Amino acid sequence: MTLYLGVALVAAAVVLFIIQPVAKGIHASLEREDDEMTDTEARKRVALLALRDVEYDFLAGKLDEEDYRSLKSELTAEALAALEADDAAKSAEGAAPADFDVDLEAEIAAIRQGLRDGAACPDCSYTNEAGSRFCSACGRALGELAAR
Amino acid sequence: MTILGEFALWISLPVAAWGMILGYAGGRTQRGDLVLSAERSIYAVFGLLLLASAGVSAAFLGDRFEYWYVASYSNANLELFYKVTGLWAGQRGSLLFWALLLGFFASITVFTNRQKNREFMPYVAGVLQSILLFFIVVLLFADVNPFERLDFTPADGQGLNPQLQNYWMTIHPPTLYLGFTSFTIPFAFAIAALLNGRLDARWIQLTRRWILTSWFFLSVGIVFGMRWAYEELGWGGYWFWDPVENASLLPWLTATAFLHSIQIQENRGMLKVWNMSLVLMTFLLTIFATFLTRSGLIESVHSFAQELKIAYIFLSFMGGVLATCVILIVYRLPQLRSENQIESFLSRESAFLFNNLLLLGAAFSVMWGTMFPLISEGVTGQEISVGPPFFEKVNLPIGIVLLALVGIGPVIAWRRATKRNLQRNFATPVIVGLVTAAGLWIGGARHELALVTWSVSAFVLTIIFTEFWKGTRARARIEGEGYALAFFHLVSRNRRRWGGYIVHVGFVMMCIAFAGAAYNTDNRFNVQPGDVVEVTSPFGHTYQLTYEGLSVSIGRGQRNLLWQAIATVSVAQNGDPKGILTTEKRQYTNRNTQPMTEVGIRSILREDLYLILSALNDTNGALNNQPGAQGIDLQVLIKPLVNWIWIGCFMLAIGTVIALWPSVDRRRLPGGEKTSEREAALAGAD
Repeated sequence: MTLYLGVALVAAAVVLFIIQPVAKGIHASLEREDDEMTDTEARKRVALLALRDVEYDFLAGKLDEEDYRSLKSELTAEALAALEADDAAKSAEGAAPADFDVDLEAEIAAIRQGLRDGAACPDCSYTNEAGSRFCSACGRALGELAAR
Repeated sequence: MTILGEFALWISLPVAAWGMILGYAGGRTQRGDLVLSAERSIYAVFGLLLLASAGVSAAFLGDRFEYWYVASYSNANLELFYKVTGLWAGQRGSLLFWALLLGFFASITVFTNRQKNREFMPYVAGVLQSILLFFIVVLLFADVNPFERLDFTPADGQGLNPQLQNYWMTIHPPTLYLGFTSFTIPFAFAIAALLNGRLDARWIQLTRRWILTSWFFLSVGIVFGMRWAYEELGWGGYWFWDPVENASLLPWLTATAFLHSIQIQENRGMLKVWNMSLVLMTFLLTIFATFLTRSGLIESVHSFAQELKIAYIFLSFMGGVLATCVILIVYRLPQLRSENQIESFLSRESAFLFNNLLLLGAAFSVMWGTMFPLISEGVTGQEISVGPPFFEKVNLPIGIVLLALVGIGPVIAWRRATKRNLQRNFATPVIVGLVTAAGLWIGGARHELALVTWSVSAFVLTIIFTEFWKGTRARARIEGEGYALAFFHLVSRNRRRWGGYIVHVGFVMMCIAFAGAAYNTDNRFNVQPGDVVEVTSPFGHTYQLTYEGLSVSIGRGQRNLLWQAIATVSVAQNGDPKGILTTEKRQYTNRNTQPMTEVGIRSILREDLYLILSALNDTNGALNNQPGAQGIDLQVLIKPLVNWIWIGCFMLAIGTVIALWPSVDRRRLPGGEKTSEREAALAGAD
């Protein structure tokens, strides 16, 4: 008798527990959360991570100067394309950019600033900080100095 | 308690079905209430399975021999420890245990995702419940119900197979099951991605930890099995290409392939269909492994014919899963197109791809070798056994190329490697490899495969250590840190990369150890007390073994032992005494089994001395303590480098844990320091 009572109690508890949301109309969210990366953001992140990887390989001495430069300029172009695409998507949405990765945002800002200020080296396409007078990668004169 | 457990199992059936239907329906209609109910049903099923498992354990602890399962795998005298682990001692219990673990992982998944990744969760819940439902159906309707009662109550059970009464055997199956069942979670997310159409790398990022966890348990579980075979089976080996071993190796091979190929999808947006196929394949192989080991198929096709029900249920489930997944992948094919293409044959992408092909090739050959005898027996009625030579012939070359790729992968450039990149990174390691081979040759090593393996291992280790060295040095220079600190930061800032390298070092160690088997020696002596025998190790030194004598004890049924004969041997190395070793024969009371052998092992870093008491000259005389009946057959094996398997496995485990360790999100820390661009570069990309 006690046994059947126990079984009935377990069964009743289970049924109540799983039926409750439907009966009472308790809803679980099915929305994507806001801080999750969008498709263009993910692409941008991948492009920037690839840049970072090349930078690491060069610093650790796995790539020589020439390979490094050609890869870097190629990846920078790709990263910029991804950045533009993401910006376009964002302004279309009218949403503020998500701060999923401050490190990368800083990197983006540096690259973008560099390109805008003409501090990207025309030779090796290394992104120098704004106002650089010489390229810190290959030593070529930059900006006004080069124009002189 | 046991009856309550039985009822709980029955209740879980409709609950799982309910959850499955509501999961899919909730995803389709986007109704949050249905989804919540489906998610709750997962907790409920887990709770019910827990009750059912408690019921089985209670039956074991209470010696309830009216249950077939308890009567077959336990007896009153069995040590308590083995009664506790009785839940997974046999087929019926282990199927329930499997479902229980799956319920546990499913509950964790639902709980950790209650606030996030909500667009995946309806289908994830649906898929998880489908698989749980499958196992519950098997338990209840395939004649494998652990609660099945006998018509009578035997006075005692038949006891546990003595070979299973070993420490490793109690932790090996659960570890493997943890690996098998946790792989269901990535599979569920993959199917959810196919169903909800989010086919970017999101599902992979979400399940990366699950994939690694599963891989961790699979690897460790397989090595535990090797350890058990090595210590308990008493023939001196750790791997016999036995179907049961192969069954656990198969999902490991495809999971390893998957672990590597997802990196290409994350980094380069390629191989999406391939990754979907691999996750599906690995999942099916985990089910297949259970099927193979737990259906009776393995012993012979004939015994299998008596268990048709479970075979039909398993095969139709696997067929159904396969068909569904193929249809889904084909349906989503346009969205699974690659974003990039491989630019050059000489690139990291192609190294990864090559690694995948090799692993799949190995999986295929193992599958073929495992299934062929069964198929041939089924078709022609004649059993053709496929022994270790077949597996070794096919898999050793594959293994060596894979080993070389372990070195090549991390330093070859992404996209396309130039000649300069290759020269820069491979010149030194290749020289080290060649010098190693030459040195070993001069040292007297002549076995070709072993030489190649050791030479390639030296090549790989050089590359990995150079990687660590270069990374540490660059960091120390740029950040102005000491080398120890720079090394620590290097690893901790990119655990995934460096943890992976540590796993690779472990793998290389294991390969070095496997190659040591080429130099195993095996000698058999008939000895009387006082006799001294000599064996020479491949390393050149000599062991002097003195047989001291036999001590026999007659048990009165404690620990189920009938009698025990222990041979004592003193060991000296080049004349230096090194202590004593014992090896024994034991006769257990139950199951009419042959006497079991317990081996004596003296393990040092470079080799194991492995003693087997092969036979007693006169068993009856020895049991009656006749003085003239102490002669024995003593088998003496020397097994070079075996210890490095266990050490390598330990490294592999540590590396995986490092890669798994959650990184502290520094953004969220108060006043979190900002990483400089340089430092970010130093950490290296994932």
